[in-house]
Amino acid sequence: MTTTEKLKKILVEELNLEELTPADIDDDAPLFGEGLGLDSLDAVELVVLIQKHFGLEIKDMDEGRTAFQSVRALSAYIDGRLNG
Amino acid sequence: MLFFVALYYVLFRPSIRERSRHYLTRRFPGRPGLARLLDTFRISFEMGKILVDRAVLGILGPGEFKISLSGRKQLQALLAEGRGLILVTAHVGCWQVAMSSLGALGPPISLLIHREEGDVDRHFFEHGAGPAPYATIDPAGFLGGTLEMLQRLKRGEVLCIMGDRVMGGDGSTVAVDFLGSAVRLPFSPYKLASATGAPVAVIFPYKSGPGSYALQVAKIIRVPGISGKSPESFHPFAAQFAVALEAFVAEHPYQFFNFFNMWEYMEPKR
Repeated sequence: MTTTEKLKKILVEELNLEELTPADIDDDAPLFGEGLGLDSLDAVELVVLIQKHFGLEIKDMDEGRTAFQSVRALSAYIDGRLNG
Repeated sequence: MLFFVALYYVLFRPSIRERSRHYLTRRFPGRPGLARLLDTFRISFEMGKILVDRAVLGILGPGEFKISLSGRKQLQALLAEGRGLILVTAHVGCWQVAMSSLGALGPPISLLIHREEGDVDRHFFEHGAGPAPYATIDPAGFLGGTLEMLQRLKRGEVLCIMGDRVMGGDGSTVAVDFLGSAVRLPFSPYKLASATGAPVAVIFPYKSGPGSYALQVAKIIRVPGISGKSPESFHPFAAQFAVALEAFVAEHPYQFFNFFNMWEYMEPKR
C-alpha cells in the first residue's frame, strides 16, 4: 500500500469522513475548508494520526502549512521525512 | 471618582443597562427594578475597578499587585506529567493580572487570543516597557492556530484558552446549560486535551481586595482519547466548565464580564 493510499484510508476511517471512500478522495483536493471539508480541530487529530501511523512529528508551522495542503502534499511530506 | 463615573453610565447610558441585563436577569432572577439598577451599578463599578487595575498593570507592572495563586502545587504536579497544561478560564476578574502571575509556574505561557487592529486593550503588554508575560496565538491564523497550540503542549508548555466565548466563529461549540438556559461554549480546549493527553485546569482570577487578586484553581478536567468528529463527545467537559463557572459567579456575582447575550441560541456554522 502506498503512502497516499494509507493516508486516504486513515482519513476516511479515523476522521470519520462519512459518505466518502478512499477512492473518492482526489489527491489534489484541499484537506481543509472546501475539498475534504476538514476543520481546524481535525488538524489536531491529523497531527496525532500522522505520529501514530508514521511515527512522524510535524515540528513547526512551516512544515504543517506545506504538508496540509492536500493528500498529495502530505504524502510527499511523509515520504520525504521517512526516506530523507 | 470612579463611583460617579459608573453611576453616570448606569443612569444615563441605556446601552450599559441593556448589555448587562442578559447576565444579571439570570444570575438574579426576579429582582425588582431598583434592585436590578443597583446590580447594574455594582457590576459596572467592579468593571471600572478592573479597568483601572489593568491600566496600572500596563503602566507600572504586576509588582503593584498582591496576587495569590491557590493550587500552585496542583498545577505544577500537572505540568510534571510532561504533556503540557491547558488552562481554561473566562472573562472574569482581570485576566491580564492573572496571566502576569502564572509565570511563577515555570514553562512559557501562550494565550489564545484574537488580535484585532488597534486593539491596545487586549495585547497591551506589548506596548509596555518590559517583556510580555505570555505569548499569543491568533485563532484567526493558519488552521485556527491549532498546530501552534499542539506544538506548545508537546513542549510541555502552558496554553491558556477562554472557555466562555467562541474565538473565530468556526462553530466548534456545544450547547450546555449555564444559569438555567443553554449557551454555546467552545469545545476546542477539550479536543486538544483529548489529542495530546494534556490535563485541563479551570482557573478563575478575581479581585480579592484593593490592589489584590486571587487566582483559583476551580476544577481539573481529564479528557480521555476520543476519536471521531462528533462535538457531542466533548459535551461532558464543556458542561463541567459551565458548572465551575456557575459556582464562581455564585460566589463573585459582580466579577463576570460577558456583556452580551450568551444565551441567544445560535446554530453552529458548519
